[in-house]
Amino acid sequence: MNLLKIAWRNLWRNRRRTIITASSILFAVFFVILMRSFQLGTYGHMIKLSIESYMGFLQVQHEDYLDDMTIDNSFESNIELIGQLDKMPGIKAVVPRLETFALASTGDQTKGVAVVGVDPGRELNLSNPNGRLVQYRVTPAAIEKLKEYGLPEKLLKKLSVLKNSSFVSSDGLRAGIKMSDTEAEKYLPVILEQCSFNNNPLVTGDDGVLVSDRLAKFLQLTLGDTLILMGQGYQGATAAGLYPVRGIIKIPAPDLDNKLIYMDINKARELYNLEGRVTSIAINLHDNSDQNMLKTKNKILAMVGNDHKTVKTWKEFNKVLLQQIQSDNQSGKLILGLLYFIVFFGIFGTVLMMIHERKREFGILVSIGMKRYKLAVITMFEMMFMGLIGVFSGIVLSLPLLYLGHEYPIRFTGDMARIMEDMGFDAVMPLEWVDMYVLWQGLIVAFMVILSCLYPLRKVFSLKEVEALRA
Amino acid sequence: MSVIDIKNVVKIYNDSEVKVHAVNGISLTIDEGEFTAIVGPSGSGKTTLLNMLGGLDHPTAGEIYVGGTNIGTLKGSKLIDFRLHNIGFVFQSYNLIPVLTAKENVEFIMQMQKVPSKIREARTRELLTQVGLGDRLDSRPAKLSGGQQQRVAVARALASKPKYILADEPTANLDSKSTENLLDIMEKLNREEKITFIFSTHDARVMKKARRVITVEDGKVIRDERKTN
Repeated sequence: MNLLKIAWRNLWRNRRRTIITASSILFAVFFVILMRSFQLGTYGHMIKLSIESYMGFLQVQHEDYLDDMTIDNSFESNIELIGQLDKMPGIKAVVPRLETFALASTGDQTKGVAVVGVDPGRELNLSNPNGRLVQYRVTPAAIEKLKEYGLPEKLLKKLSVLKNSSFVSSDGLRAGIKMSDTEAEKYLPVILEQCSFNNNPLVTGDDGVLVSDRLAKFLQLTLGDTLILMGQGYQGATAAGLYPVRGIIKIPAPDLDNKLIYMDINKARELYNLEGRVTSIAINLHDNSDQNMLKTKNKILAMVGNDHKTVKTWKEFNKVLLQQIQSDNQSGKLILGLLYFIVFFGIFGTVLMMIHERKREFGILVSIGMKRYKLAVITMFEMMFMGLIGVFSGIVLSLPLLYLGHEYPIRFTGDMARIMEDMGFDAVMPLEWVDMYVLWQGLIVAFMVILSCLYPLRKVFSLKEVEALRA
Repeated sequence: MSVIDIKNVVKIYNDSEVKVHAVNGISLTIDEGEFTAIVGPSGSGKTTLLNMLGGLDHPTAGEIYVGGTNIGTLKGSKLIDFRLHNIGFVFQSYNLIPVLTAKENVEFIMQMQKVPSKIREARTRELLTQVGLGDRLDSRPAKLSGGQQQRVAVARALASKPKYILADEPTANLDSKSTENLLDIMEKLNREEKITFIFSTHDARVMKKARRVITVEDGKVIRDERKTN
């Protein structure tokens, strides 16, 4: 009769208690995984929007640029360096940029904006502004026409909620309206037709600009309008120019969507008097792990030499995002800690009760010749079984939700969406799919099971047979 | 040949500053093959004496020799090992392991002794057949009557081939038929296999069957009678 078998059978002696305790572990693991998945999914989404789809994981910059982000700290764009970076294994995209600020005006409205001079061809591999061109916009005029067409009241109501919203694809618009398959088949073509928005991409040598959606709305700009940009050029020169709005783009990161203007890099150089210069070369990697990021950084550092240029990881040049993630992560961990604390005492209580109830039985076993350590091993096995059942079921229960939340992220609408966007977050809450964090939650709970056994095990080792037999 | 030599054993409990002399200078010799009952009123010290004979409690003074070993000097796992190989226990409320079947309960002791599985199985079957439970090998304790459970407990106590079996009020929870049955089995084992049984009891039926009755009162032996059958 091996000890594992006895422990397993003992577990089911008090079936109800075992189920209750295992369930408490199950729900703890389930909620902890779900909570962590929300956190990590959100961080991943933030990094994807800001870093992977805009800033790049690495940037070659002038060594003073990070401390003083002005175009005076730009550097000569070196074709050779870009060529070398292009050939470097593990690098996905190399994008030279000229980024600075300007005052944008349409006459009545003025706003400080971020101007990004890009090579339209290369930029397709990173922020891809041409892929973000607004294709559909739910204008009041479109809603009016759809009303005349006889669109059902239910759909008109949904469209009213989306008034002035822009979409980069028909799928996005359909998802926004939340149409059923039947409704989509019947009404989507007419909705798409009425909401269609003719937009133009940015091409190399273009003298127009692409304006982000929210900024365009603020400045009340539409296609073909002229935008005035004013700012300070290289070494104090005045920068001013008139630019036709070529297209309107929708950036998923609300913070950027409020202020971004794309223009051809050579036109930006003309505007800011920065012949042949860039403020950064953004680099995207195939493997975004910290280890690979640092390894690639060092390789590029060796490549750029000592020419007042440096290489920064996104954690260095976007400390705001990093700190935002870190502080949220810490507060999340604190809540997880509290949850673990509650679970720990739940398990501890069960173990204590079990030891107390079975004191006499333990006394008998030691009396008839069972060594105390074997008794301790049985007790540990029982608790480990209970822990494993809870942890395993918790993980299994969380998997479908993780999959759903990962594949179909929760998209907030209405006031909640507005609040999130005002805070600079995309109103989307994706879940992180299974990764090491799932295993970690399981291991932490398993560790707590072991920890909760320590005191009862001490009791087993100090058991006095005569006293136990009297219990 | 003596199995147990008890020499001037004293057990004092310090109960809230009051010293209780549970056993007060008992000296006895138990020989191999005895069927002995220790009797006396509640609080007379018979259970304390039995606990010390089982190595469950240590004497405050005096010595208890089992096969030449002073068990008062054994501690920790050595004492547990000694009990495993030399002493069999039958408790008042059976105290079988509830999650194990009758067969597994008996086998468990031999497994702790690391007896090879084939020998273990054969002996388990033999013992349970001897106590009349050859057909209930796979029953768990909850499915057995009190008398049947106590018979499994006897088989378990015999499994390790102990020098003697200590039975603390083994019939206290049994009806008269089960008591009679159990006593017959134990007496048979005693006569045929020369197994030494020591009981603590209040039960007149046990006293009647015992061939030696030691009466304890106030921690002292006041009478030690041997019957000749």
